[in-house]
Formats: sequence, C-alpha cells, structure tokens
Amino acid sequence: MLTSTIAIFVVLCLIFFAFVLKDVLLAKRRHKKYRLSTCASALLMGSPAIVLGFLFVLLPIVYSLAYAFTDFYLLRPNNIKFNSFENFKLMFEEIGQKGDLFNAIKNTFTFVIGVVPLQIGLALALAIFVNRQKRGVGIFKVCYFAPVVISLTVTSYLWLEILSPAETGILNMILGWFGAAPKDFLRDPDGAMWWIVLLSAWQGCGYQMLIFLSGLTNVRKELYEAASLDGANAWQQFIHVTCPGLRSTFVYVVVTVFIGACRVMTQPMLMTGYQSHTVTLSYYMYVQGYNYRWVGYSSAVALMMTIVIGTITYLQRRFLREKD
Amino acid sequence: MNRAHKKTILSAAYYVGGTVIALLFLFPLVYMLATSTKTESVYAADAGSLAMFLPNFKDLSTAFDNYKTIFTAYGIWRYAVNSVVYAAVVIVLNVLINGLAAYVMAKFDFPGKGFFNFIIMFLIVVPVETSIIPLYSIVKVLLGLKQTASVLAVILPSSISIFNIFLLMQFFEGIPKEYEEAARIDGAGNLRIFFSIVLPLSKPIIATVATFCFIGVWNDYLWPTMVLPYAEEGEWPLYPIQSALTSIKSIQGITTGEVMASLVVTSIPIFVVYVAAQKYIVQGFGTAGLKM
Amino acid sequence: MKKFLKAMMAIGLSSMLMFGVGCGGDGTTDEATGEVDASGNTVIKIMFHVDAQSAEGKAYKQRIDAFNAAYKDQKIKASASYIARTAGAADYEQKLVGMQNEGSLPDIITFDAPNCASYANSGLIYDISDLVPQDVQDDFLSLNKYDGKLYGLPIQESSAGFFYNKNLFAQAGINVSGYTVENPWTFAQFKDVCAKLKAINVTPVDMRLDATKDETATYLLYPFIYAAGGEFLSEDGYTAKGYFDSAATQNGFQFLKDLVSSGYTSYAIGATDFFDGKVGMYLSSGWTIPDLDNKYPQKFPNRDSWGLLPYPKGAAAASATGSWSFAITDNHHEDKTAIKELLLWMTTVESSQTITNATGMIPARKSVENNYAAGSPESVLLTQLALTGRERPVTVGYPQFSTTFRNVIYEMKDKSVATVLSGKATNLQSELDKLKRN
Repeated sequence: MLTSTIAIFVVLCLIFFAFVLKDVLLAKRRHKKYRLSTCASALLMGSPAIVLGFLFVLLPIVYSLAYAFTDFYLLRPNNIKFNSFENFKLMFEEIGQKGDLFNAIKNTFTFVIGVVPLQIGLALALAIFVNRQKRGVGIFKVCYFAPVVISLTVTSYLWLEILSPAETGILNMILGWFGAAPKDFLRDPDGAMWWIVLLSAWQGCGYQMLIFLSGLTNVRKELYEAASLDGANAWQQFIHVTCPGLRSTFVYVVVTVFIGACRVMTQPMLMTGYQSHTVTLSYYMYVQGYNYRWVGYSSAVALMMTIVIGTITYLQRRFLREKD
Repeated sequence: MNRAHKKTILSAAYYVGGTVIALLFLFPLVYMLATSTKTESVYAADAGSLAMFLPNFKDLSTAFDNYKTIFTAYGIWRYAVNSVVYAAVVIVLNVLINGLAAYVMAKFDFPGKGFFNFIIMFLIVVPVETSIIPLYSIVKVLLGLKQTASVLAVILPSSISIFNIFLLMQFFEGIPKEYEEAARIDGAGNLRIFFSIVLPLSKPIIATVATFCFIGVWNDYLWPTMVLPYAEEGEWPLYPIQSALTSIKSIQGITTGEVMASLVVTSIPIFVVYVAAQKYIVQGFGTAGLKM
Repeated sequence: MKKFLKAMMAIGLSSMLMFGVGCGGDGTTDEATGEVDASGNTVIKIMFHVDAQSAEGKAYKQRIDAFNAAYKDQKIKASASYIARTAGAADYEQKLVGMQNEGSLPDIITFDAPNCASYANSGLIYDISDLVPQDVQDDFLSLNKYDGKLYGLPIQESSAGFFYNKNLFAQAGINVSGYTVENPWTFAQFKDVCAKLKAINVTPVDMRLDATKDETATYLLYPFIYAAGGEFLSEDGYTAKGYFDSAATQNGFQFLKDLVSSGYTSYAIGATDFFDGKVGMYLSSGWTIPDLDNKYPQKFPNRDSWGLLPYPKGAAAASATGSWSFAITDNHHEDKTAIKELLLWMTTVESSQTITNATGMIPARKSVENNYAAGSPESVLLTQLALTGRERPVTVGYPQFSTTFRNVIYEMKDKSVATVLSGKATNLQSELDKLKRN
C-alpha cells in the first residue's frame, strides 16, 4: 500500500508541476510576477486541507477507480491482480446483451430527465411563493424543508404505504372513491421510475428552494419597480426580471441537482429492491461491488460514470455560463 | 373599500394555499409522530386507513410507552452526547480547515491554482460508493483503531469536505478586496485577516456549512460503526447515536412504534438546528451568488 | 528558480506531514494483533453479528464469561466484540473484509451459512473437518460444507412454516389436525384449505411474495421448488442453465403463480394484515412465534388462537433451513488449539441451550433437551427440520443466486413463468461464469 500511495503522490505532484510550469510560463509572457511570500503562506494555510484531502478523499477515490483495472474480489483483498481492460470488456458485453447494466443506464437516464426539471421547477415555484414579507411565511419555509431533514428511510417507508398495491394503500383508496381498480404503481415497468422521480423531487426540492430564495433576495427591488412602471404584468416581470437575475443560481442548481440525480440509489433500493425496471447505475454498482463482491468490475462502472458525468457537467457549465 | 376586500381575500387564499402545500410536505413527519405513539397491535389495526396519520387515540395509556422503552432500555442519551461532541469538533475543524483552504483559493494568486480547481471539480463529480474500502485501509494504517485513535478516525475524514471548500470559496470571492487591503496596511498578517476580517464577515456561510456538517455527522452510521471499537461493559460507549439506533433497529422484536419513536428523537435536534440557522442559510447561499 | 523552490517546499511539507502521521500510527498496529496480553493470557478474539444489548448478544456474553472463568488456569482468555448487522447494508461483511485486508481478523467469527462456499473459496475461513461433533444433525452441517470439507459449526437452526388463524379456520370449517410433519399435507390439500378460506371472504394465505427486497423471499419460498422436484444449480454450484430453467423447477414456480391466479394469495397483502385477522395463513420463520405470543393481544391473545402448519408436500417434501454459524478464520495465528477449544465451547449442549433460549430458535444439537409440547409450534419446526429440512444451494455465487430467485418471484406476476425463468437462468449463468473465470 505504501509503494502505491507514494506512486500516486508522485504522479499527482508531476501533474501539479505541469500546472505550475504552465502558469509560470504564462506569467512570464504577460510580465506578471508571483510573490514568494504569498505562495508560501498559501501553501501553509492550505496544507491541512491538502493533507487531509489527499489522505481521506483523493487517495481512496483514486484507489477505487484504479481497481477498475484489476480483478479485485471483495473477499480476496490480499490477492489483487491487474487484468487490464477485462472489466470494461465485460461491461460492454453486458450492455450488448441488454442485461442489467443496460437497464441501469436506461433507468438512470429516465430519472435524470425527470427529476432535474421537476425538482428545480418545484423548488423555484416554492421559492417565489415564500419570497414575500408576510407573517408566518417562515413557518411555511420550515414545513417545505421538512422532508429534507427527515431521513430518506422514513420518507421511502411512507411512500411505500401510499403506493401500496393493496386496496388499503392510500392512493388506491383514493382512486377507489372514484371507482378505479387498485393498481400496482411500483411494479409497472414504465411507470415505476416516474413515481421514484416524483417522490425524490418532493423530498429534495426544499433544499434548492432555499438556494433560489437566496438568489431572489439578490434581485434588485428597483428592477421590479421599473418593470411595473413600464406596465409589465407578473408573468412578464418573472421572464424579464426574475429569470435573468437568477441566472448564476440557476446554473449552480442545475449542475448540483444533475450530479445528485446521476447517483440515485437509496430510493429504488428501498422502494422496489433490485429489479430490472428500477435498478440505477449507483445501485447496480453497489450490488456488483458489495453483494456480488466484484469490486474491480464495480469500479470500472464507477470510472465510466465519472467520465460521463464529468463530461456532461463540463459541457453544462460551458454552455450555461458562456452567455453571461 | 373594494380594494381592501380584494386584499384580504388574496391574503386568505395565500395562507390557505400555503397551508395545503405545507401539509403535502409535512405528512411524513405527522406519520412518524403518530406511529411513534402506537403499540404494534394498534399500528396493525390502523394500517391502510387514514387513522395511520392520527395518534394513538385507541389506547391513550400506552401512548408514551415507546419513548419510555427507548430511553430506559436502550439508554440512547449516552450516544446522543457522543454525537453532539463529534459534531462540535467536526464543525470547528471543518470550518477552520476548509475555510483556510477556501480563503487561499479565493484570494491568493499562486502558480498551479488551476490544478486544485480541477481536483475540486473532479471530487465533486466522482461517485464515492466504492471508496469506503480503501478509506478503511488507509485510516487503519495511519491511525490504528485503538480507542483514542479510532475517535480520530471518525473525526478526521469528516473534517475535510470538498463541497464545503467549494461553497466557502464562492462566498469569500464576494468579499470586497478593500477590507483586506485596509487591514494589510495596518500590518495584519494573512492569518489575522482570516480570523478577524474574513470569518466575521462570513457568518451566513459558516452557519450554512455548520448546519450541514451537523446533519452529516448526526446522520452518519456506517463509517463510525466500521471504525469504532465495541465498548466493554462499564466503559463509556463510543458509538454515535445513529450507530446505536441502527443496531437497536436490528434487534429482533423491536416494534414499528419504537423505531419511529427513535427516529423522532433523532430528527428533533436536526430540526432545531435547522430552524435556528435558517435565516443564515438563505443569506449564506446568496450573498456571493453561487457559480458553478 | 524561485517557483521551483516553492514547489519543492510544497511537496516536502505535505509529504512530511503525511509520513509524520503515518509513522505516528504505525506503532499501534502490531499491538492490536498480539496474541498474548499483559498478564500472559493467550487472547482469542471472537466477533458476533448482533448487538450486545439484544437477548442473543447477552446469551453470547454469558457463555464467553463462563469460558473465561473455566479457562482461567490454562491462561486462555476470550475477548468478544459485537458488530450489529443491519438490514439491507452489507456492513458486517464490509467490516470482515476490512479486517482481513489489514490482517486483523478475529480468530472466530459468526457468518450466515449460505456464505460458507464463498468464504471458504476465498480462504477467509479455516477447514475444521477434524472437529465434527457427534450429535449435530448431519442435515444442519451440509450448508457449512464446501468441497467436502467442514468450515462452520451451526449456532442454532431455523425453520419456517404456515402460521394460521384458528378462529378463521373454525369459521371456514377447516380441520387441520391430521396435517403433521410426519404426514404432511399435499399441494392439493393446501389449495383445498385455501379454497375454503376464500369461501368465507378472507385472503387465504400470505405467501410473502412481496418480501423480495431482502433474503426473506428466498428463504421462505425455495422449499416449494424442491418440493415440486425442481433444482437450482449443478452440484459444483457453477451451472444454472438446465437446472434453474428445468421443467420441474418451472412447475414449482408455477404452483406459486397459480395460487395468485386462483385468488388464494397476492402480491398486495399489507404487512400487518395477518396480525390484524384479515388473512388465514402466514408463511414465516420461527421468529414470528414470540411476536404472536406478545405483540397482538387483540387478535391473538393466547396460543389457542393460532397454530403452525408445516410446508406442504409435492413430489418431494422440503422445508427451509439454515441460520448463522461459527467459523475459525484463516488468519495468521498458526496455533489453532486454543481457538478450537473456544469454538467447541460455544457449540456445547449448554451453550446451545443458553443461546436458543434467548433467540427462540432451534438448537443444532440433538442432545439439547427440549421440553416442547407435542404439536406446539416449536416442536413442529424441530421435527420438520429433522425430517424434511433441505438447505439452499451451496455455491460461491450465493448472493447472485438469491437475487435471481427473488427477481423471478417478482417478475412472474406479469409474465409467464417459462419466459422469466429462461431469461433469468441466462443472466445467472453469465454471473456464475464471471466467478468461474477468476
């Protein structure tokens, strides 16, 4: 472990050198100078974070991604062999056969497509709703945030009662009043993922509501006054004043919700268990890595996922920010 | 007169609407509270009807039995004390360590800064599900897992949070340069500027980071369960509250009501902390304008 | 030049800090694996999968204390730790693997018997074939064997059956006194009882078809496939094709599906419906006995209000078995003599008695005296274990098998059994091939 740790450290240092060299050369061309004292104190003040971050965050992640090129079987931690791209070959075979990895990609895609607009839309609507100086609004804010505070376990447990296929399930009971036959919502191969989208958006939107709320408080009041003097109605004000004012907040929320959505695991795990129509990428990784004990293979999936999410995040930032 | 009428009606509609939406968000809490007062047979009788949202009216004498069991039989207050201590230490370390790093990233100009920016973005994106296995080995090699060292194993990895560096960085960037420059002219060093200018100006974001730190430490159970040793009889246990509760939940024969009662007990502190910090949290996200 | 100096400083400082911490910690690791404590006792470490506060944990503690008292003069000391295994998360196994990784595995561990094959295959646990105690039932040992060698000694045994509501049975005019373990009821008689219950407008049976999120569904339902004459895997545990999708296996699953289509059971029964008197029978393991004794005074005030029936018989008779076992780990402690002493101590008749008294499960040893009344639920489970108990398939890929089994139960609701089985057999086969390749 020590040798590989040192190797990783050296490689990181080399990359760091490359960055330093680039900066230094650029600085020379622009006749800019770095001050030694600034650099030294930067290093000194950053060192606790660098040391802890390297040891407890970066190193474990680098290891776990490096396992992608090994045959690491959970129960044989002392006998890990390099097997080059074997795991990736398996992955593509699995996708080709339309196995569970294929389903996982499909379901994760559905989830992301659904939850990102829904959660952000709900959050924005709630933020606008509570963004006014009225008595008791604070209580509303606390209420809307409540599901974020209560553990996902409780909320999933409760949604199971709501969506229960039994006639006594809450939603089926309500449908029953209108004479509809009981349905098994979470078993429906096309519908199940959307219920998970709905409950996730409901559970998480309180957090983004707060972020939007802070963005809204930053939009200058005069702009609204000017707009209403120009005869703009509420909707026009929203389009022409609120939206531009929220732009950077919006980018932030989109990117963070997107990254979170790509990693969804707890909800399908608690709602349906491991089933083809609800398994997601993170859940697939978890089952392959911990239940089936294929740490190597699971890491390969993680590595692919990192690359894909990283690329999309990069693109999102590029396109959404450029127009500023 | 008409105008006033219209205003009252609008205002009433606002509150009615707000309350309806609030109920849609509150029902898990109501369910949790209601169930925590029920014995197993009352719970079974109420399942699948709207009575599951109502407290135990059927047998009022047993309404607090679950809480009694939780507090007397399982003695969770000792674990609660542990959790508060862990959370307090982690919050202080987290704000200091990540704050210093964020300050450097926000305000200092040094070669190779792009490297750290890249690492921060990479770590926010990468999935961490499989990294707990190598983390365990690293911690074990570094610290060993004896009593005292294992407490460090709980505290140190939670004291560094890349996402917090990211949040703090954003906030610090919004602090006008003039403040620092004025202090620098007075001869203040970097550390003094950080402690006497930057931190006091950043109360909202610090409250935000502290709140989420608290929620994180309070809710974590897998990692502490893995690294903390089992306490012998007569020793003070080292487990935090969630580790203790998850092992309570695995005891066969525990009732749904008792599980819910324990969840109520653990959710209350989080709720209190959140309500207290709410005002700051909104400002914390806002002042700098978040950028990704 | 200055910049390079700075960079060098950066590396120097961070590596210094890093290795400084590293060196500080190194001293403590050796001590943790020491075999002899300060007063010269040989220390044996044992780890349990339950919380120390639970009734089961207390029973273990009692036996460990007794061991330490008995072996004081021989300078052997057992030191126990308790890591609660929580539902859903594989955290107990993660802790085991972490310990194995850094070479600090305790000498004795508890483990869920179906994991025996994979643990043995990976060299996590140690061959104890020379330790076979005389009076452990052979059937109970088979799940603890791999490749003909013995790797675990069962702590206790479990079995399952059909709990039934005597009031509802009386209402429906059903007499089940003839259905004993020695003379089990048949699939046809089972359906007959269901039909009579359906006639009085109650859900006849909760087959737990919706318990597919964890091991429960596998544990409770696999005997039906064996009872129908079906198979899951080849002898070596690596082939699913031709076994998992065989005609007889298909019949077993079809029997379960027919119960649904006849309206005798469904995937939509509330978890507490049986306990609230809405369902006639409830398939569950022995740990429901204390629940029925204590928790539902309204519907089940005493043992006259409920009973327990064995698994019905098809082409063959089969019932659920398998619980947790003790194993010696293959750690660096070469001398296993004292460790074996403790293992045997934990499985003596006396220990078995203490532990099963606390858990309500079934002792794995024949010599444990039981005072179960004839016909009582406990005696039904005990005789059933001895006569028809059949273990789950022994395979390195047990988790893969169990997940697949539960997927079949889940998916056959809306698709034909044949389609589901052939698809899932292919999936399982490719997972097993992956294992074989390594």
